[in-house]
Order: sequence, then C-alpha cells, then structure tokens
Amino acid sequence: MNSDVQRVTLNLPASAEYVDIVRLNLYGIASKMGFSYEEIEDMKVAVSEACNNSVLYAYSQEGGMVEVLFQVTSESLSITVRDEGESFDSVGAVGNRSLHDKDLSEVQIGGLGFYLMEALMDEVSVTNQAGKGTEVMLTKRLARSEERV
Amino acid sequence: MNTKTNDKFNAKTQMSEGVCTVFLSGELDLSVAPDFRLVMEPLVGNSEVDLIVNMKDMTYIDSTGIGILLSILKARHGMEARFAVEEVPPQIQKLFDMTGIAKFFQS
Repeated sequence: MNSDVQRVTLNLPASAEYVDIVRLNLYGIASKMGFSYEEIEDMKVAVSEACNNSVLYAYSQEGGMVEVLFQVTSESLSITVRDEGESFDSVGAVGNRSLHDKDLSEVQIGGLGFYLMEALMDEVSVTNQAGKGTEVMLTKRLARSEERV
Repeated sequence: MNTKTNDKFNAKTQMSEGVCTVFLSGELDLSVAPDFRLVMEPLVGNSEVDLIVNMKDMTYIDSTGIGILLSILKARHGMEARFAVEEVPPQIQKLFDMTGIAKFFQS
C-alpha cells in the first residue's frame, strides 16, 4: 500500500492573487491526511514561498502559469511547484540565509523565502533548467504514533 | 485615520499619546504587500511617535510581509525611532524566531 501515490494537480495563473488558493487546497489535502495544525501551517508557508518565487521571478510577461502537484502517499505529502519561466537561478540570486548572524545595518531585504522552505519542510529540491523553468519539490513526512507492520 | 479594507487583509491605524498603532488582520502575503506598504509609508517617517504593529488578528504572514517589516525596522533604526510588534500569534512568532527578525524587535 505504501507505494500507492495519489495525485492532485492545480494549474493557476502565475499571479499573487492565486497563491491563497494553493494554501486552501493544501489545507484540505493535508488535514485529510492527518497532519497536525502546526505541520499544516509550516507547509502553508513553504508552499506559498515556492509559489511566490514563480509569481515574482518566472515570467517577464503576464499570462504565465504555475502548476502545483500534490502527491499523497501513506507516509508523506510532496508538493511540486513548477513554472515554465525564464529559469534564472533564483536560489543563487536571492540567497537563502537567515538574519541570525547579522546586524540590522547589514540586513538585506529578500532571500528569506528559500530559507523558510528548507527550515519548515523535511526535504526541498530545486531543479532549474535553462529555458524550461523551475521546479521546487517540497516533502513533509507524516509523523507516526505507531509503526505499522 | 488611515484605513485599508480588503476581504483577506485589513489594516486600521490608531493614534494616541505619542503612539501610533496599526492593527492588522487576515493574511499578509504577496498579493496585499502593496496595500500594507501604502498604509505604513506615511507613518514610518514620523520619528515623534512610537510605531507599533498589533498582530492579534493576523492569520498568516509570508517572507514578503517579513521583508516589509525588516525595511521598516531599518528605516526606524536609522532615525532612532521605536518600531515594535505586539500580540504576535504563535505561528507568526515561530517564523520571526526562525528567520531571525525577532531579535530586532527586542528593544
């Protein structure tokens, strides 16, 4: 049974007004799977950050789309956010550092999105293909109260 | 009185005795970031008053919202004027701690 993967796909305009729709769907799927309130809040932030990156950086013109794929198994939820944008190296460009070791005077605005994704999810992978867009895959494992045999 | 109304995000400003408090409610994300900037812009430059953001009724913030708070912190720090947050919900405080912005609010 563990190998069964159920998939839900959303296709949305790459626009800030649609990111909350992704959060609503995530909430529905994750609560059905039995994730805790706190885990769902964490995933909401991480997935929104991935969508924000597509909205902000992928397309230079309007009309671009973002695909969000939810992959549900008995053990984990993986969310893949994919765009077909210009695919510049957004991770390298904005960085992924926290503010912990910085003074206010040396803090730069931006770059917290990827840091949050990595801090809030169990696995994060980013695939960048020149001219073919960016794919961010975020995975959260279900905490088990008991191991099934 | 500076009020910005939106279905998902709302900001109300209250002025009293040298303190300007902005009450936020709903979700502060990328889509309403311009609204939030618009509310805060005229308030940030006034060094005569303490600037407080009350987050009691906020349900969500993303890195865009945190980025705006950071830029306000920097601006207020530069003019030696106070900027603080109050009644921060636990899930938002967690993000403040995680990103490291929390330490800049401590004063």
